[in-house]
Amino acid sequence: MNKPLAHISWPRIFNSIPVYLAFIVFTILVLLPVYWMTRSAFAISTDLIKLPLVYFPPATLRNFATLMEQVPFGLYLRNSLLFALSTTLATLLVSYLAAYAFARIRFPGSSVLMWILVLSMALPDIGTIVPLYRILKTLHLSDSIAGITLILTSTLTPFTVWVLVSFIKQVPYEIEEAAILDGASLPQILWHILLPVTIPGLVTMGLINFVNAWNNLLYPLSFTTSPSAKTLSVAITEIYAGFSPWGKPWELIMAVGVTMTIPIVILVLLSQRSIIRGLTGGAIK
Amino acid sequence: MDKAMNVPQDKGMPAAKSSRVSLSRTTRRRYLLFILLVAPAFLLRLITAAYPILQTIYLGFTNLSILKGTNDFIGLDNYLAMGNNIGVRSATTFTIVFILTTTMLDLLIGMLIALLLNANFRGRTFARTINLIPWAIPTIVAGYAFRWLLDDQFGLLPYWVTQLTGLRPAIFINPLASQIAVILVHAWKDAPFMAIILLAGMQGIPEDLYDAARVDGANGWQRFWMVTAPLIMPLTITMGLFRLVWSLGSFDLVYGLTFGGPGVATSVLALQVFREGILFFKFGFASAISVILLILVAIIGVIGLWLFRKTEVTY
Repeated sequence: MNKPLAHISWPRIFNSIPVYLAFIVFTILVLLPVYWMTRSAFAISTDLIKLPLVYFPPATLRNFATLMEQVPFGLYLRNSLLFALSTTLATLLVSYLAAYAFARIRFPGSSVLMWILVLSMALPDIGTIVPLYRILKTLHLSDSIAGITLILTSTLTPFTVWVLVSFIKQVPYEIEEAAILDGASLPQILWHILLPVTIPGLVTMGLINFVNAWNNLLYPLSFTTSPSAKTLSVAITEIYAGFSPWGKPWELIMAVGVTMTIPIVILVLLSQRSIIRGLTGGAIK
Repeated sequence: MDKAMNVPQDKGMPAAKSSRVSLSRTTRRRYLLFILLVAPAFLLRLITAAYPILQTIYLGFTNLSILKGTNDFIGLDNYLAMGNNIGVRSATTFTIVFILTTTMLDLLIGMLIALLLNANFRGRTFARTINLIPWAIPTIVAGYAFRWLLDDQFGLLPYWVTQLTGLRPAIFINPLASQIAVILVHAWKDAPFMAIILLAGMQGIPEDLYDAARVDGANGWQRFWMVTAPLIMPLTITMGLFRLVWSLGSFDLVYGLTFGGPGVATSVLALQVFREGILFFKFGFASAISVILLILVAIIGVIGLWLFRKTEVTY
């Protein structure tokens, strides 16, 4: 009985060697920049400019303390959170309403409208930056979190609608139908009947939009100038632009990088299934 | 939906029947509801996308500049000026090279990662988890992290190269090396996302197709080319087109990694728009560069439609 087993196991081990090699290469490539950033963020600056390189310099939180002293770091962090959260919520609200209409209400030309919305994703954000700058001025929303929230909400809405439509379509219509026959109003249906069953879809798109907003550079960089509106993504570019006597303050740049990366990576690792479902929800049906 | 807001119904008449009788009123009501629900989304897109695009096209024909204080209609002068603008010319060329190479690399590496994540091995869950990290890291942070990783004095990779070969590579003062760095780092950031999409496509392929191929004696390589590749080809083309368009507007990575340098070697059109428009307030000229971007989007769109038709015929 042992013979066939041995016979099978040899080629199997042989087959899996390339897979494990690929796995190792993949892991190193993905994690190397993360390691480098983390190592530099928690090191003192003199440890970063030693040769031969110090792979694991003693860890310290000094860089974060320096950031707190030299820039309004807490304020930037608050702005980033505020920007990301309000964009996420506004996008979900606007998209949920539209997605419900597209998924459930018959309307002549509804699919054309949907296509227009989805195709508008193809417009490069940068292509409208100059007019948007002027529009925000006109609306008295320049240099404010509200202004950049408005614009990013608009940018993220088409994809969110697209994915939410497919989520809502998966919910059986019978539940709503019963509620409608019972005389439920539209707000009641949206809030009490459909919302609970659409929660997974909303959570998914909420996470994806939060990541997108938290990571967004273009809008805060273009439209905010005062510390009360600047986000961490702008802060990191400003610290990079500054010089210290020894060159770029890499320990500070990487400390901001780590601050921006940690919450996002934790969020993503905790909810990866949900995120993957959202990312693939629009493309694969 | 139309039934929800129904007009008071005649007593004794079944709901379904009555809604059919008062069709025109409920239909009107239904249309109104639809419009109300999609209105916020479309208003947003109108104010911050449709109208600005028209503005961009118009501004492209003006010399609007905040610092110079000019604002006249100058016809095609901006476009003619681009011919002599070394920054724009070089950015146009590099943008086209950049979007083509990164898209091909994204698809190729994305496919390899997807195959890895689809294979059966210990650590697959771990691999799938860390695969999301490059997607999740802010692009600007990735740009700076790689700038530092590739630093000619204290960066890890050049240091290793020096240890192994004795050479001292200085990537960011060499135009070609900087361009390659931008393209490869972009692939590092985006190939994992491509892999997620392609993996989902692969998982949608029925297992019995592979079983049938196995029965016919196809090896792993053959199974990939006979089953996997043709079935995810439409998805691959779609994602490739999306990626082409998205990388056209890609701005963060170049901003962080090279800021277009050395000189203008790695500058892309998106960065030129930002420089001319937001840093120098040359709104007219920046808008004209944006129009070049829009034309490129349109060209990709037309090619895309043509490709879709072709694949429809083939499969």
